[in-house]
Amino acid sequence: MLGENGAGVSAWPGRRLPSRVGGVWIPLAVLVAALAFVLGGWAGLRTVRNQPVIWRQMLAGGGVEVVLLVQAVSCVVVALAGPGPADPPTFWGYLITTLLVLPVAGAWAFAERTRWSSVVLLVASVTVAFLQLRMVQVWFG
Amino acid sequence: MTSSDDESRVVAGPSSASTTSSGPGRALVLVYGILAVAATARSGVQLATKYDEAPLAYLLSAVAAVVYVVATIALAKGRGVWRRVAWVAVSVELVGVLTVGTLSLVRSDLFADATVWSDYGQGYGYVPLVLPVLGLWWLRRTGRTSSGQDAVPR
Repeated sequence: MLGENGAGVSAWPGRRLPSRVGGVWIPLAVLVAALAFVLGGWAGLRTVRNQPVIWRQMLAGGGVEVVLLVQAVSCVVVALAGPGPADPPTFWGYLITTLLVLPVAGAWAFAERTRWSSVVLLVASVTVAFLQLRMVQVWFG
Repeated sequence: MTSSDDESRVVAGPSSASTTSSGPGRALVLVYGILAVAATARSGVQLATKYDEAPLAYLLSAVAAVVYVVATIALAKGRGVWRRVAWVAVSVELVGVLTVGTLSLVRSDLFADATVWSDYGQGYGYVPLVLPVLGLWWLRRTGRTSSGQDAVPR
């Protein structure tokens, strides 16, 4: 009765907060995917031009990696605070993998001085973007 | 270990031509590596959390994962005995994806859940079907350029 239009109503959104917070890292996933596509586009351009990866691309990859680390921390915080991913083992597996792809592929690409190093970076970038999509899907189940 | 292979490689001319991990092989190894990680992680999770639901499918996924890991390492090494290991691993992979792919369509009752090789790797964008073909082609091509070695061991 009292709760119809009193304090009780405003209390409910407060209680639903944890599940809403679950979406906080989603914008970061979108950002990572967008940055990964830019990096991949750059690599694709250099592939077409028959050029290898360059140091500036490694730095750009490092930038994406920083955002990925922020995302990883926010995922852990959100999962500890409220309802975590719907499929925890798969989600954390994706999270660890997405952190490893660029450093490993970057090193693998940079050791090769042909256009195929650009293909490596392109594939790695698309993989990171794809993993972001899968992480969002797995989080919501 | 196999010094004769290394020597023939030097004689063969462009030094990068005869190893499987350079040029196009660089990208091939990366894709193999990604698939190896994907298959290993997936089968690990499946075996650990719900083995009883579909034992055959999950064991097959584990076998596929091992094959991909071995193929990745062998193609990354790319010389001597590793070349033979790569031939075997990639061949097993092709037989596996064709066999399991066909079985999953005609005897779907055998598989309670999907594997990497189900429906010819449809769940992975048919990469599992295309990859062994590319792998065999690449092994054959790089095998030709290293003069001291037969392309196809029989």
